[in-house]
Amino acid sequence: MIPRSETWAQAAAERAIELVVSALDVNALLDDVDLNALLDQVDINRLLDRIDLNRLLKRMDLNDVVEHIDIEALVDQTDLGAIIAASSSGAASDVLDAVRSQTVGLDEFIARWIGRLRRRPYTGPPGPPDRLRPRAGP
Amino acid sequence: MTARAGDARPSGPPAVIRESLQGKYSGFASRFTAFAVDVGASLGVYMLALAAISFAARVLTGKDITWNKGDIWVIITFSVWEFIYFAYSWAASGRTAGMALFGVRVVRDDGTDASARRAIVRTLAFPLSFLFLGLGFAGILLGGRRRALHDVIAGTAVIYSWDARAARLRFLSKS
Repeated sequence: MIPRSETWAQAAAERAIELVVSALDVNALLDDVDLNALLDQVDINRLLDRIDLNRLLKRMDLNDVVEHIDIEALVDQTDLGAIIAASSSGAASDVLDAVRSQTVGLDEFIARWIGRLRRRPYTGPPGPPDRLRPRAGP
Repeated sequence: MTARAGDARPSGPPAVIRESLQGKYSGFASRFTAFAVDVGASLGVYMLALAAISFAARVLTGKDITWNKGDIWVIITFSVWEFIYFAYSWAASGRTAGMALFGVRVVRDDGTDASARRAIVRTLAFPLSFLFLGLGFAGILLGGRRRALHDVIAGTAVIYSWDARAARLRFLSKS
């Protein structure tokens, strides 16, 4: 059983801490902190040595983290699409790309010549149709 | 896209595909080569089917069946087969095997997916474009939306459906 005097002392200490915290202006305190100087004093390597990554990862629910990632937005905001495109090609798609590219080149060649014959400058393939045009955001 | 004489650059994708072509109206060469592939593929499948029927008849009855391209039944069944090949492909996915190979697709003139009705009308109107020395195809070369006569009749258009920009990035990543 805890002595009564000790309980009073603990309650008094807690109250004192509450009063000190409420009296503190945390924003002003943070303004005074020189974070750069603080970070200079931190030995990152030593800190990393002390972190048990396996234990940390075990405590993390990675599936939950992945579910929160908006893949569409990620692909839109980064050049991830280009990286995927660059890494996911096989021999068949190389041949397909080459065939399509050359045919498009022939399309352009014909269109350019038709433009010259009609004395109208050719400015690239027309389109897209109305419903395929990108719409302005809200 | 035309390379000058003495230009030592390796042959790569044409300059036009620096940007994605997806959704732009397809040109004459892509459409024509896709059609040529389709004619070859559909004719090949049809001839294989005739050969299979001949073989089955020989095994079952012991008699040989010979097919002449002037036979009325051959003409009728070939026409029906071609109709099914093109109409079904355009109705189901907007593209035939040849069109898938060359990355082009049939859509409604506003860009939405072509319906089964439009696919059927397009298939039926397709032979009309061959009349008068193929005058119906002139719209692909001269029209602002690159539409042939059968496209105008069916209210359709043909667009590029492949991602040219991704193809260019793949090319650049390997060069």
